[in-house]
Amino acid sequence: MKRLFDSSASVVDRRAFIKVSALAGGGLLVGTYLRFGASEALAESVSAAGNFTPNAFITISPTGAISIIAPNSEMGQGIKTSLPMIVAEELDVSFEQVTIVQGDLNPAYGRQMSVGSQSTPTNYAPLRRAGAIARAMLVMAAADTWGVSVAECTTDNGAVIHAPSKRRATYGELAAKAATLTPPENARLKDPKDFKLIGTRVPGVDNQKVVTGAPLFGIDVKLPGMLYATYTKCPTFGGKVVSANVDEVKKRPGVRDAFVLDGIEGLTPGVAVVADSTWNAFSAAESLKVQWDAGPVASQNSTEMAKQAEQLAKSTPPAPLPVGAKLIEATYHYPFLAHATLEPQNCTAVFKNGVMEMWTPTQIPASGQGLVTRGLDLQPKDVIVHITRLGGGFGRRGSNEFSLEAAAIAKKLEGTPVKLMWRREDDFGHDNYRSNGWHYFTAGLDGGGKVVALHDAFVKMQGGPGDMSAGGFPFTAIPGSQVKSSKLPPGIPTGYWRAPGDNGNVWATQCFVDEMAHAAGRDPLTFTLDLLAELPAGTGRGLDPAKMTNVLKLATEKAGWGKSRPRGEGQGLAITHTNSAYVAIVADVTVSREGELAIKKLTAVVDAGTIINLSAAESQVQGAMLDGISAAWFQKITIERGAAAQTNFHDYRMLRMNHSPPIVDVQFVKSTAPPTGLGEPGLPAAAPAVCNAIFAATGIRVRTLPIIDGSLKWS
Amino acid sequence: MSKYTLRVNGQSHTVDVTPDTPLLWVLRDSLGLVGTKYGCGIGECGACTVHLNGSPTRACQTPVSEVGRAEVTTIEGLDAAGKHPLQRAWTELDVPQCGYCQAGQIMSAAALLKRNPRPSDADIDKMMAGNLCRCASYVRIRAGIKRAADLASSGTADRGGSRS
Repeated sequence: MKRLFDSSASVVDRRAFIKVSALAGGGLLVGTYLRFGASEALAESVSAAGNFTPNAFITISPTGAISIIAPNSEMGQGIKTSLPMIVAEELDVSFEQVTIVQGDLNPAYGRQMSVGSQSTPTNYAPLRRAGAIARAMLVMAAADTWGVSVAECTTDNGAVIHAPSKRRATYGELAAKAATLTPPENARLKDPKDFKLIGTRVPGVDNQKVVTGAPLFGIDVKLPGMLYATYTKCPTFGGKVVSANVDEVKKRPGVRDAFVLDGIEGLTPGVAVVADSTWNAFSAAESLKVQWDAGPVASQNSTEMAKQAEQLAKSTPPAPLPVGAKLIEATYHYPFLAHATLEPQNCTAVFKNGVMEMWTPTQIPASGQGLVTRGLDLQPKDVIVHITRLGGGFGRRGSNEFSLEAAAIAKKLEGTPVKLMWRREDDFGHDNYRSNGWHYFTAGLDGGGKVVALHDAFVKMQGGPGDMSAGGFPFTAIPGSQVKSSKLPPGIPTGYWRAPGDNGNVWATQCFVDEMAHAAGRDPLTFTLDLLAELPAGTGRGLDPAKMTNVLKLATEKAGWGKSRPRGEGQGLAITHTNSAYVAIVADVTVSREGELAIKKLTAVVDAGTIINLSAAESQVQGAMLDGISAAWFQKITIERGAAAQTNFHDYRMLRMNHSPPIVDVQFVKSTAPPTGLGEPGLPAAAPAVCNAIFAATGIRVRTLPIIDGSLKWS
Repeated sequence: MSKYTLRVNGQSHTVDVTPDTPLLWVLRDSLGLVGTKYGCGIGECGACTVHLNGSPTRACQTPVSEVGRAEVTTIEGLDAAGKHPLQRAWTELDVPQCGYCQAGQIMSAAALLKRNPRPSDADIDKMMAGNLCRCASYVRIRAGIKRAADLASSGTADRGGSRS
């Protein structure tokens, strides 16, 4: 395997991405160019053009205070803690010495997108470089002051030390001088074996604020003279307002204004109600009488989609099986899902002197800025976006339609700040849902129980993520595999939902692998290991079978795989390669004769490269597994007459404490490889592990989600 | 609009709101106590849990006109220094993910520990099933409640964040 931290890789070239300058008042400022998503090429070109603008700042003041800007949005993935940990590690300061500041939307920060588990992997190397350069300059400043060699100086806990002369100077004392120096050509990165901070458990930087109820979230924003708004849209997707009783609504208690918004590019038409409190806005909106033009989507419903999906799948028959092969076929279906972030969508906006200033819980602030710029005919420089903490993301807050709604309302009330608050019902009714999907699998087994053919006719909604190809496991392990993908007509808004694509497709494929193993009379573990052994090794960005085999073996050993269990108890396994991480999960379940499911234990082994913050990493994987299980067990959005039938948590059930397994064991493979993301990889394999365990316990195969829609009774 | 004088976190506040206004919005919009969260408005998610005379109550289901002279305790008033055993346990074990539900979780758990200083897993399941955590941080919430029970019984001083 390639060594990631060989000597050439551990030397920083300062010209690439570092900029150093003096801080007003005599401190040191170090900037680096953070990379977001696939923007490495962008950063290179910016640098080459010579107009490099640093986008991540480390400042060291003369008092020794160190601050690091966090440009990404914090939504529970722990990025506001883990990114500064990387800087602090190379800078050789304790985490307590560092203050983290949430950055606003700023072109200088490059692409501020907190999506696709990308914040950590894309920023790891640049942040290490920034910390290492800053540390090197502080050492140079000390060596210069003392007239000693740089090589004789060491650093520890925010100070430079010259042991031979027993001298010590803090970074604060050295900052002003360091800022006058030319950055070194090279700065050595720490050997990972010397890491003091990376790989440890550091609690979230905002935990104390969270547990004391301090204002952090978008919903908590309050500005002087602020009013509160609701925005009511047609329940049917794409519907428009014909007329509304806004004059009556204006007479309701506390209501300051009510109006229809239409004809704004990118804005779903609707009725705004603005009042002096959230409740008065909600309450007045209840008395709205709107005549809607429901539009063309009104004929869509989930039952009809299932029929269409079957027709589409049958119209694209898979390749025939080899002669003499034993046929196994099964249809797997997963429904639409809502994101249901616990903080409903909201945005506070004020329009004053031609400038729109917004406070938004968003994963992609620039997308909100773009919507507002286009919809309200403003210049990007006149649309200011402050990023608040997000009460959950899960992909939902990559869309920013609520920002445009808030801005459009604020523009009408020029000079007055307005907080737009979605009701929970708005949130369930106007999501960008995880698309439904159908897999029509056919497979062939030869006489020895080996899979000789595997085909999938896949159907989902047109548009959005989550398409299937034969380029993923297990199809890549079986020569000649075919995946044919068809699309249902558009109309229902779909979008990114945590671990897009994999969140449903890994469930279907991993359950079908289990099904094939049982049809072949094989143990699912050895069957899966044999499939992995068929994969070509070292496939670059693709799945590395050795790593996957390793996590699968470790997880099954840890979980005590293969012991015989009485009827009603079962173990199931599943694997996934998501966002470059390798995850194997074993689920232990019991199912009573009455069909009551209980998950007793989840065992996960994860290879996600270098782990930055062990606490957040473990928490993300635990949460993602339970999120996947929650979706598979309980969640479903049904479309009726072109609208979502579910409206709130009473009819959209989610996992709660009483269904949460008592043991959720997560272990990470020790690795010095660069970190992968971890917000999503824990999710996809959890549900198939549970469904395969249900089969082991009962002989019942769950092929339609959610699990609660079917019966698990056995006798 | 009507005037109501409420006792919140040991202080009296007079507010002028419509009588059907839920306590949730009085706390958030009128009093600026935004730790109590809106999640569903129908008493299903538990994010708005506060104490009324010590009993856990869904603030979104409690009209201000029904509060009367009851002592309202919110997350901001749970402990003057923010060092209630649950708050200490939550920071020590790094329980929050997005954190949005956690005030409600802590308020429900505080009521549980008051009644039952050593809750079993079944006790925790029963009491906490009314509080949804969308990030599914249930493993750590459960551990946090048990840790808080230990801290409360031993009177252990604040240990700050752990670095095990």
